[in-house]
Amino acid sequence: MQTVIDAHNVSKVYNPKTIPVYAVNNVHLHLQRGEFTALVGPSGSGKTTLLNLIGGLDKPDNGSIIINGVDITGLSANELIDFRLRNIGFVFQSFNLIPVLTAKENVEFIMQLQKTRRQERENRIKSLFRQIELEDKINVRPSQLSGGQQQRVAVARALASRPQFVLADEPTANLDSKSAANLLDIMTKLNKEENITFLFSTHDQRVIERARRVITLVDGQIANDTARVSTLHEVAGQAG
Amino acid sequence: MILQMAWRNIWRNKMRSLVIALSVAIGLFAGLAVLALHKGMLKSRVRTVIDAEVSHIQLHHPLFKKDYEPQFTLTGNEQWLNDIRSSALVKAVTARSVTQAMLATTAGSAGVQVNGIIPGTENEVSRLDKKMKEGTGLNPQKKNEIVVSRKLADKMKLKTGSKLVLTFTDTAANIVSAAFRVTGIYQTENTPLDERNVYVKINDLDELLGIGNAFHEIAVLLKNDDDLLTVQKELQQKYPGVLVESWKEISPETELMVNTMDYYMYIIIGIIMLALAFGIINTMLMAILERTREIGMMVALGMNRVKLFLLVFLETIFLTMIGTPFGLLTTWLATEYFYKRGIDTSSFAGKTMSSFGFSSMIYPEFPAEELVTVMLIVILTAVFSCIFPAIKSGRLQPVEALRK
Repeated sequence: MQTVIDAHNVSKVYNPKTIPVYAVNNVHLHLQRGEFTALVGPSGSGKTTLLNLIGGLDKPDNGSIIINGVDITGLSANELIDFRLRNIGFVFQSFNLIPVLTAKENVEFIMQLQKTRRQERENRIKSLFRQIELEDKINVRPSQLSGGQQQRVAVARALASRPQFVLADEPTANLDSKSAANLLDIMTKLNKEENITFLFSTHDQRVIERARRVITLVDGQIANDTARVSTLHEVAGQAG
Repeated sequence: MILQMAWRNIWRNKMRSLVIALSVAIGLFAGLAVLALHKGMLKSRVRTVIDAEVSHIQLHHPLFKKDYEPQFTLTGNEQWLNDIRSSALVKAVTARSVTQAMLATTAGSAGVQVNGIIPGTENEVSRLDKKMKEGTGLNPQKKNEIVVSRKLADKMKLKTGSKLVLTFTDTAANIVSAAFRVTGIYQTENTPLDERNVYVKINDLDELLGIGNAFHEIAVLLKNDDDLLTVQKELQQKYPGVLVESWKEISPETELMVNTMDYYMYIIIGIIMLALAFGIINTMLMAILERTREIGMMVALGMNRVKLFLLVFLETIFLTMIGTPFGLLTTWLATEYFYKRGIDTSSFAGKTMSSFGFSSMIYPEFPAEELVTVMLIVILTAVFSCIFPAIKSGRLQPVEALRK
């Protein structure tokens, strides 16, 4: 198995000079290709901060984060932007599509930043929209899509750049049950069929049920790290 | 796609964008209208200088203009006039005798320049007959007639038929006085020039000055303004001992005005645009503030600062450029309208314009030649306006921006 994320002794402190708050405290985390992992924990436990650190959106005060062999803590701001573009897919909590672009253009935007050739872009867009089952909404603006549909487009956008892994920060938080289930079905399918690595930060039981590995964060530290052979969702399906 | 995004972004808040576009249009209209007015004024002034005051080229004895001493005449006489007239580029030629004199009436006295003219050819060169407001002008058959300006006539209480005395020095430095009868009152758009110049027949003046049939000045009117340098060069080669000057040298203040007015106008447009730039900066800052989260998300996804700068820059350019065609079109329509009808400034400015030598009727002219410069100023405004918002957006940290 190939290690995709290798975080050593990672800490992030807010207000270090006044009242230090350890948002992430001495975390060690290793993620292999193809994992479908949920990062859980109460509010303020440091889930989003850890996700931001792994995603290169923020810099740790201590430790190293090696992604695909590159220590991203040593990269400059511009290098990080380029690294994110080529290695990391993001799905944010609130849909975060560019409102002036159509669904297709939102996905294409990333590939254009990567300078992907037109024909390749077209093929990839076609394939991604088939996978997220939104082929009929390809030319629609985000405002004309439901929350679930927007989040599916965000998943397609995250995958458009063929990243090493996808970071999803509470992706189902604003979705109704049906939309959340639909989105999770798509992500599970992508994980199984294309071996895409997903790391979620979530409170949502529906996401936790589908995760093969659940890491629990408490006060910025890993309190529990459980790997499962079968997900709870699969178990429930077999039982049903 | 950045181009597309920039264009669509400016229409996210239509009202705000339209207000800015309208401001640009109004600013541009104001700047261009001022430019058009000045261009019209200057063109009219240059036309007056050439057609009514000094003509295109003048020839003098090299020492004549130093003290206007009557003995410094041109030696060529009638032959020179015929030679110059025969050039295909020349429209009209006339000769003048000129002296500085004291004009006296019962009402007082005034210093004047007496122009001894040949009425027929003078009318061809300076259109003196067209400026005549009263009287019949100079009759070639009669002696000692004089044409004075309205301004001088009012000052010296002269009417047609009035008598006056001119006193000046002749070639032998004798004081010569002669009585003249006013047979015409003229008026031009240049009041200071009017007040200074009186016209008599060249034969009358030559006789009093004692210069025979000689003259001091040859005035040459060309068919085309563009031939000025060619003809001036030709004449200088033909008459090497003679001072050959173009209107630009004779009336340097007009030349200076033509050369410097454009710069003043660009400064005015620049100031208008600078004021506008702050409106644009404000709009762009608001637009960026509203889209903090979106910009943070784009940076998080991998949009680098150069592309972000380009996006903000293009949005600013579009915002500025939308107003530009409207500004240009309205200026063009307004100048076309007033170019045909003219703007009469005498109704609100009285004789202010003519007291500075300008016509009180202004025919504004669309500054087509300056369009490239004006467009450059507009683009520079956009560039200037986008710098601060672009820097601001480039400094956004994705983590903080995404939290908003």
